[in-house]
Amino acid sequence: MDNVIETRDLRKSFPAKGGPVDAVRGVSIDVRGGEIFGFLGPNGAGKTTTLRMLTTLLPIGSGTATVAGFDVARQPKQVRKRIGYVSQLGGADELATGRENLILQGRLYGAARAQVAPRAAELARLLDLAEFADRRVSTYSGGQRRRLDIALGIVHDPSVLFLDEPTTGLDPQSRANLWDHIRSLRERGTTVFLTTHYLEEADVLCDRLVIMDHGQIVAEGTPRELKQQVAGDAIVISLRQEDHEAERAAPVLSGEPYVRELTAEDGQVRLYVDDGGAALPQLIRLLDASGIGVRSISMSEPTLDDVFLRQTGRSLRESGGGDASKAGDRPATSEPKEVAA
Amino acid sequence: MKTARDVGLLYQRYLTQLLRNPVWVIVGFSTPILYLALFTPLLKHLVGSRGLPTGNVLDLFLPGILSLLAYASGIGPGFSTIFELKAGVIERFRVTPASRFAILFGPILAGLVMMLVFDAVVVAVGYGFGFSVHWAGLGLLAVLLALLMVTTAAWSIATALVTKEISGFAAIANGINLPILLLAGVLLPISLGPAWMRVIAHFNPLYYLVQASRVLAGGTLSGSAVWQAFAVLVPLCLLVLAWATRVFRTAVA
Repeated sequence: MDNVIETRDLRKSFPAKGGPVDAVRGVSIDVRGGEIFGFLGPNGAGKTTTLRMLTTLLPIGSGTATVAGFDVARQPKQVRKRIGYVSQLGGADELATGRENLILQGRLYGAARAQVAPRAAELARLLDLAEFADRRVSTYSGGQRRRLDIALGIVHDPSVLFLDEPTTGLDPQSRANLWDHIRSLRERGTTVFLTTHYLEEADVLCDRLVIMDHGQIVAEGTPRELKQQVAGDAIVISLRQEDHEAERAAPVLSGEPYVRELTAEDGQVRLYVDDGGAALPQLIRLLDASGIGVRSISMSEPTLDDVFLRQTGRSLRESGGGDASKAGDRPATSEPKEVAA
Repeated sequence: MKTARDVGLLYQRYLTQLLRNPVWVIVGFSTPILYLALFTPLLKHLVGSRGLPTGNVLDLFLPGILSLLAYASGIGPGFSTIFELKAGVIERFRVTPASRFAILFGPILAGLVMMLVFDAVVVAVGYGFGFSVHWAGLGLLAVLLALLMVTTAAWSIATALVTKEISGFAAIANGINLPILLLAGVLLPISLGPAWMRVIAHFNPLYYLVQASRVLAGGTLSGSAVWQAFAVLVPLCLLVLAWATRVFRTAVA
């Protein structure tokens, strides 16, 4: 299918004290029709700025962007007709009911009154809002409000739906529920472009994603492809910090042929091996023989955080970014401290 | 055509929001009534002395209240714009194909309608206490009041979009409130003041409205104060509306 979104060398900087701040520094992406495409990165990576340029809310600094077949800078009106956008804030009218919000939104997209009422009812059904569609939005729970925001974003059946951090602030159950709704949009042919700082959200929801850091794309692919870049298993060994054991352990372990990448800091050694099961006993024997005391060892399959860590030298969890497990989705498999590349 | 339709939709939305907020409705109605009730008695003994005209105190004072109401009704939308900016409402509208002018003007029109309702209440109450009603003059005054309200509202909304924060906007709004009100002769005619004050007042749009309002409320339709008010307020209103629409069109980051 054709690309629904295409950007080439997209840039944006903002004036600030002490010189301009480059928020987006050369983003080139191709989003195919009918996929869920994700922007993963820590807060401040430039995800929202990029999204706001693609949705006509912010003038493009330089570079080009085409959305739904129209140039964002030159044909913003055409773009607006074909896209839906749900900001982090949502922006539904609290003093109006869900249905009133949907009807107004539909009419702002040019639909006649007679078309809009059945469409509002259909959307309320689709997003499980029917029960309270006639209650004021101020009475909605976080998850209900988020579903209404999405319904408002698709009232005109756009070809692309932009979602900025759609599940931030939701409890795990509402988050999983919203993921199901987003997937069902894809099944009905809508392209979904979302930003997230949740690793798990990017992993389980996105067909393809880019990882963004400091305004640039640092990796691109399907979650599976990205994780395969970090081949093998990640092993984290915690050592006694007070004796600088990690610094002693690093040269011992990095000499081993099966150890692929290794970082050591703050009493932790983090390394990647092809076969974790085979490597673990050997690593323990080696450390034991060198008289280095091990506090704990954990092994995990690579996550998107390992991809981020490898590309940026920092962990997304530590970069002001999110951690889906904080909301209780699943226990963190590894919690590296800040690691020097 | 499309613009008019969008203005209608957003006007309706904003008016509904206003009416569903009971606190706002009560405050909106009680403020002008309080002015009438609490300030008029102070003026009773001044009438006829120190260069003030004779007659019912309300004939002097009520047009000023209407002018004040026009200005205050224009500042309100700026505050609600900050709120809607924070709630993501403005962004939600800006990403739709709705006319940028309509996003600006819908709320202004709703505020204008509410203002005219308040004006009618003030005039009705005033009439009960001896204010002499001249229909033609009041009709023309309503046009001038609307011009000032729209100008002030467009200015306050655009300023809210530029400042983005309640603190910045409130500082600017409060900072200009006092000089604008004092240098307009809203409560007492500026002709009581010294020459320098009368000169500065000529840079204040509200001054022209207040001057014209007293003439028009008295039933005179063709005084120089009237055409001066139109000559100042019509171009100013168009200018500020054009600027505010531009602010909506360009970035509101």
